[in-house]
Amino acid sequence: MTLTRRTLTRRIAIAAIAALILAPGAGVPRVAAQSPPPIKVGFSSAMTGPSAITGEGVKWAAQMLADEYNAKGGIMGRKIELYFGDNAGTPGEAVSAVRKLVDVDKVDVIIGQTHSGACLGALPIVKELAVPMVIEACSNPKIRELIGKTVNEWAFRVNPDDVMLANQFAKYMSRQAKTVSIFAQNDDFGRGAATAYDAAFKKVGIKLVSTEFFDRGQADYRPVLTRVKRAAPEGVLLVMLASEGSVFMRQFRELGLTQKLFARGSMATQEFLFQVKDTPAIADGLVEATYWTPALDPEWDKRWLERWKVPVRVHGSLAAIAFRYAVAPAIEQAIKKTGRADRKAIRDALEEIDIPNTPVGRIKFDETHQAFINMLIVEIKGGQLRLVETIPIQP
Amino acid sequence: MEDLLELAIHGLTLGALYAMVAAGLALMFGVVRLINFAHGEFYMLGGYAFWYAYRELGLPYPVAGLAATGILSAFGWAYEHTVIRTILARTWHVQLIATLATSITLTNLAILVFGTQPKEVPTALSSTILEVGGVRLAWQRLVVLGAAILIFAGLEWFVARSKMGKAMRAMSQNREACAVVGVDVQQVALATFAISAALAAAAAVLVSPLFNIFPDVGALLTLKAFAAVITGGFGYVRGAIAASFLIGITESLAAGYLSYAFKDAIAFVVMVIVLLVRPQGLFGRRIGI
Repeated sequence: MTLTRRTLTRRIAIAAIAALILAPGAGVPRVAAQSPPPIKVGFSSAMTGPSAITGEGVKWAAQMLADEYNAKGGIMGRKIELYFGDNAGTPGEAVSAVRKLVDVDKVDVIIGQTHSGACLGALPIVKELAVPMVIEACSNPKIRELIGKTVNEWAFRVNPDDVMLANQFAKYMSRQAKTVSIFAQNDDFGRGAATAYDAAFKKVGIKLVSTEFFDRGQADYRPVLTRVKRAAPEGVLLVMLASEGSVFMRQFRELGLTQKLFARGSMATQEFLFQVKDTPAIADGLVEATYWTPALDPEWDKRWLERWKVPVRVHGSLAAIAFRYAVAPAIEQAIKKTGRADRKAIRDALEEIDIPNTPVGRIKFDETHQAFINMLIVEIKGGQLRLVETIPIQP
Repeated sequence: MEDLLELAIHGLTLGALYAMVAAGLALMFGVVRLINFAHGEFYMLGGYAFWYAYRELGLPYPVAGLAATGILSAFGWAYEHTVIRTILARTWHVQLIATLATSITLTNLAILVFGTQPKEVPTALSSTILEVGGVRLAWQRLVVLGAAILIFAGLEWFVARSKMGKAMRAMSQNREACAVVGVDVQQVALATFAISAALAAAAAVLVSPLFNIFPDVGALLTLKAFAAVITGGFGYVRGAIAASFLIGITESLAAGYLSYAFKDAIAFVVMVIVLLVRPQGLFGRRIGI
C-alpha cells in the first residue's frame, strides 16, 4: 500500500493527537489537577417567553454571585460553576430544564423555578432524579403539600406561599376596603393566589366582588377595567408582574378609576418603577404584599446597579437570597461534615441549616421543607418604594 | 350605554391593529401564496425601531414613525430576498418551518439585543384623555383610528390604481401568466413584502404608545391576524380588514360582558362560526387580492 503525502500527514496528526490524549496527565492543565472540582449550581427560570424578564434577572444575579464567591476562592475552596435551564415559566418546559441541568450539566443543586406552574412541573422530576432544588419564588399553596421529608425530600422552599401571605395581607386590606375585585394572571401563580385570597377575605369580612384572569403578555386591559368600573369595588387586588403592570396602570388611569390598589407579584418593585419612569407616580398608593424589597439589602441593590446599569430585579434578588442564605451555607456544611458536596450531602445539609439573621428573616426549613421568612408590606409613594410593615410569618 | 360605547371604541382600536397586520398577511398570501408566520415579528421589530427612533434618538413622533416604517419596509424587502425567495418553490411544509424558524429567531434576537424589559413609548396623546358624556379615551386611540382609515384608503388606491398594485393583483390571479407577459414577478414579490412589513410597522407605531413593546408581542398577533385572513376569505385584503374589525369588536364586547379570560379565544370562535356558515370566508371568492 502506498501512502500519499496528504494521507501520511493526516495519520501523523491523528497519532499525535491520540498520544496527547492518552499520555497520563497530558492535555490536562496542571492547575486543574490540583484544584478541587467546582460545585455546579443550576438556576432554572423563564429565559424565554412572556416571563423572560424574570429569568434575565435570575441569570444576572447568578453571575454576580458566582463572580463574588469565586473572587474569594469559592466555597471552602471549591469554585462555583453556573448552569442555566429555561423553563419558559411553564410546567412542561420546567421538566426539560431540570433534565438538562441534571443529565447534561450534572449540577449538584438547583435554584428555581421562579414561576409556580414551572415549580409544580419540576417537583416530580426533581424527586425522580434525586437532585436538591431550592425554590426561591413560587408561592402557589399546593407546593407545600408536595414537598417535605415524607413527600419529596429533594425540594425546599424559602419563600412563603399565598395562603400565609393572604391571611396577613387581607387583614391589612380590610382596613382600607370592604369590597374587592381580584385581577390575576391566568396561571398557577394567579389562580393559587386568587383562591387563597378568596378564603382570606371571608375571614376578615371583605366581600369579593369579582375575580378575573388574564393571560401573560397581554397589552389590552380596557374591557376588564370596564367591568371593574361597572362593579365599583372599593379596592382591586392585582396578581401581576411588573412587565404587565405598566400597561395596566396606564389603562387604569385612562379610564379614570380611583380604586385602592393592592398587589401580589412584582408591582411595588424597582423594575416596575423603572418601567414607568416617565410617569413614576402612576401607581402611587399601590400597596404590595411581598417578601423582598431593595431596602432590605441596599448594598446588593448598589452592586447590581453598578454592574447591570438597570435597577435591581426582584426575582434575581430572591434567587440570590436562596443561594447566599440556603444553598451556600448548605454546601459549606456538607463539605465540613462529609468532605463532599454531592447532591445527597447538600440535601442533608439543607435540612440542618439554620441562618437566623438574613435580610429576609430566619432561614430554617421545617419538616415540610418550608422556611418562614418575613412578609413585607411595601407601598409606592411619590414614585418611590416605602416599606410600610414587616410581619414575621409563624410556622 | 357608556360601557357599550367604550367597549366598541376599544374594539375598533383593536380591529385597526389586527387589520393593519392582517392586510399585510393577506397581501403576501395573495401575491406569493405563502403564509408568513413571522409576520407578527415584523410588528415587534417595527415597535422596537420606533422605540429607538422616538425614545433613544429623540425624534418627533411623526418622524420616528416614518423612520420605523421605512426601516421595516427595507427589512421586508431583505426578508423576501433572503428567506422567502429560497423557499418559494418548496412545499408548504418547508415554508411553514422556515417562517416559524424566522419568527423564533427574531424573537430570541430581540431578547438578546433589546433585553426582556418591555419598552414604553408613551406620547403626549396617549396620556391626554378625551372625555365625552362619561366616555373616557386617550387621544392616541383616535389617532390610531384616523391613521388606519388613511392607510387603508392609500392601500386601496395603490392596489387599484398604481402600476405595481395592478401587477400585484395580476400575480394574485396567475403568477405564471404574469411571468410570460413580462411582469417582473420577483420585483412584485419584493414590493409586496416591503409593503406588508411597512403596514405591520405602521400598526406598531400607532399602537405602541397605548401598549408596550416586548420580544413576544408578535406571537399572538400573528395568530389573530391569521384568523382574520381566514375569516375574511383567504388572500382577500378587503375581507381580512373587515374581518379584523369584526374580531376586534367581538373580542372587546365579549371580554367586557362575558369573560375576559377567554377573550383571546374569541378570534378563533368567530373564525370557526364564519367557516361553518361560509366555508369560503366572509367575502370569500377565488384567491385574489
